[in-house]
Amino acid sequence: MQGRGFRDQTSLADRLEGGTFDRLPSAGSGPGPQKSVEGWVLLVTGVHEEAQEEDLHEAFAEFGDIKNIHLNLDRRSGFVKGYALIEYGSKEESQAAIDDLDGKELYAKPINVTWAFSTGPLQAKARR
Amino acid sequence: MGDDFYVRYYIGHKGKFGHEFLEFEFHPDGKLRYANNSNYKNDTMIRKEVYVTDAVLAELKRIISESEILKEDDENWPVPDRVGRQELEVVLGGEHISFATTKLGSLLQVQSSKDPEGLRVFYYLIQDLKALVFSLVSSHFKIQPIQR
Repeated sequence: MQGRGFRDQTSLADRLEGGTFDRLPSAGSGPGPQKSVEGWVLLVTGVHEEAQEEDLHEAFAEFGDIKNIHLNLDRRSGFVKGYALIEYGSKEESQAAIDDLDGKELYAKPINVTWAFSTGPLQAKARR
Repeated sequence: MGDDFYVRYYIGHKGKFGHEFLEFEFHPDGKLRYANNSNYKNDTMIRKEVYVTDAVLAELKRIISESEILKEDDENWPVPDRVGRQELEVVLGGEHISFATTKLGSLLQVQSSKDPEGLRVFYYLIQDLKALVFSLVSSHFKIQPIQR
C-alpha cells in the first residue's frame, strides 16, 4: 500500500458512485461479444511498434469494410503502443477477421485478435 | 489475491463552473466506467459503462506493468491544490497504490519537481491510459470525450 491516497481519502459520492451509467443493450445470456453503437470492435494486441495504420488497414480490409481504426502511440517514445482497435459493421466480418488473423504474424510478430467488448462480467472473475 | 486487479484514474477541480472532472475505472470482472463532467462546454454529465474482455484487461495490465508505476511513490510529488487534483489507484500483482498529485500542465513542471523521474512515469502512463480509455469509449459509444 503506497501513496497519499490512503491517508487522504476522497469521496466518490458525486463521481463514480453517483448517478446511473448509460449502457448499450445487449442480447443473449452469458458473456459474449457486445455490439457497439455502429458495429463490432476488435482488439488487436502484439502490434509491432513500427506498424503503420495503412498496413493494418490492408490486412483487415480483406474481411470487410473497416469503420474505424485506433492505433495509439506510446506518449513517451512516439512508437505504436502495441494494440489497435478495429471496427467492422457486422459481427460476421469481425468473426472472420478473428478466425483468420488471430495468431498470424504482422511485421514478423504474432498478433492476437479478439473481441474488445463483452455482454457481461467475465465469468471466471465474477464467481470470486 | 495475486490476481486481483483494479484501476481508477481521476482528474478534476472545483471552480466557478462547479466540479469538473474526468474519471474512469476498470473492475476485475471487466466493467469499465467512465464519467466526464464539464459544465463549461455543456451542462450534462456523461456517464457510460461497458464490459471489456479479458484481452483488454490483459493489455491494460501490460501497459501498467511496463510503466513500472508500482515502483514509484507520490511522497515527493506536488500535492493537490486549487489548480486541481489527479488520482491514480492501481491494484495489480498483489500491490496496491493510490497516488494523488496536482494537475500537471507540462513536462517542464514534471522536470522541475522534486521527483522528476517518478513523476515522468506517472505523466506518461496517464496519457497512455487516457488514450486507451478514450479509444474504447469513443469506439463503443461514438461520443467524443473531452480532452483536457
